[in-house]
Amino acid sequence: MIDIHTHPVQVAELLDRDPDLPRAVRDVFGLFMPPQPLRTYELHLDEAGTDQAVVLPIDCTTAHGAKVVSNEGVAWLMEQTDRVIGFASVDPNEADAPAKLEHAVKEYGLVGLKLDPALQLFDPADRDHAFPVYEQALQLDIPVLIHCGLSWARVGRSSKAHPLALEEVIHAFPDLKIVIPHFGWPWVDESVMLALKHRNVYLDTSILHSGTPPESIRHTLERVGLDALDRSLHAQVLFGSNYPRVDPKRVADGVRRLGLRPSLERKIFDTNARELLNMNAQVAA
Amino acid sequence: MTSRVIRFGIQTTGDTETIDITERVRDMVRETGVQDGLALVMTLHTTTAITVNEGLPDLEDDIVEMLQRLAPAEGDYRHARFLHSDGQMAVNAPSHLRGALLGFQCMFPIADGEMVMGGRQTIYFVELDGPLYREAVVQVIGA
Repeated sequence: MIDIHTHPVQVAELLDRDPDLPRAVRDVFGLFMPPQPLRTYELHLDEAGTDQAVVLPIDCTTAHGAKVVSNEGVAWLMEQTDRVIGFASVDPNEADAPAKLEHAVKEYGLVGLKLDPALQLFDPADRDHAFPVYEQALQLDIPVLIHCGLSWARVGRSSKAHPLALEEVIHAFPDLKIVIPHFGWPWVDESVMLALKHRNVYLDTSILHSGTPPESIRHTLERVGLDALDRSLHAQVLFGSNYPRVDPKRVADGVRRLGLRPSLERKIFDTNARELLNMNAQVAA
Repeated sequence: MTSRVIRFGIQTTGDTETIDITERVRDMVRETGVQDGLALVMTLHTTTAITVNEGLPDLEDDIVEMLQRLAPAEGDYRHARFLHSDGQMAVNAPSHLRGALLGFQCMFPIADGEMVMGGRQTIYFVELDGPLYREAVVQVIGA
């Protein structure tokens, strides 16, 4: 089982070794909880039934003068535990962002890219700044998880993260694998529309707005139609928790309580992420 | 008269756990050297509890099942929303309510340098929303 969406912003060992990180976590990411040992992070995965989880940094250098976990921090975390799968983040507003992405993938072994237009304050359809980053991701054959919808960070601008802004990106890069987290809530219909139309667009289950995860996930996905998940989106929905905004055990419980066909549940929890991340190919090799 | 507050940590490993801390507390009390007085044991969290019961695995399971029956995982709880002061979803009302049912502290007399406890009494630190690194305190007051 793979969790496609966690933020290592509460890991004490990571906060201890980066003096700038506590401020970034508090003032940019907007998390105000005390740190927990890395062991707690691993135990959270156990409690949810997760084998491995993607850890997502966010490079907000231009917008906020901070990195909410650096690529180097993610690489260090990967050395401490084999439970994490590292994604990179680069700031599209920096001219050398494509080169930094190549460095993070080739030197640190990071296997995906995280972008957050709401926090990084860039236009996802900006041909001058964002497109070179997508081009690099495509060349490196890595997926891109682009925050869409509600940004819980106080300084986050959700207006920058409308999923329809990705339509131009999808047209320009039809082979780039794009993950829209949170089903793009509140722009769920728009996010689902993109995934229905484009096989390279994925959606994750970290749907958190009000109520418990079992409630918010059921409410949102029943609106989409559980039959649509089974028939049209079975290969494109990924389990993502958005830890530590919420406990992974509760999001996993929310997905399990949907009562999906076992084969679909297995795809959401495991198979789809492994295919997206080329993990099956790595095992075979 | 002396008063000492000793803070200690517990790494819990699951959602709900009953953890026997009796010997750990006894050792802390002994180390203070207090011969006669009181020992307060208190958790520093609202989704954990301190309780005293007979140290038997079947009773531990019964306590957990009682809590799950009285404060079920699903319910029309108000505490199910984003908590702006934490930056997290606050969706653990059952954990808080279970903590309220068990309570957050216990107290024992100290005589001749030892805690005065019934032969079947066991002190439990109860995790109600783990896994997490937790903290509790023992305060020893006496002479």
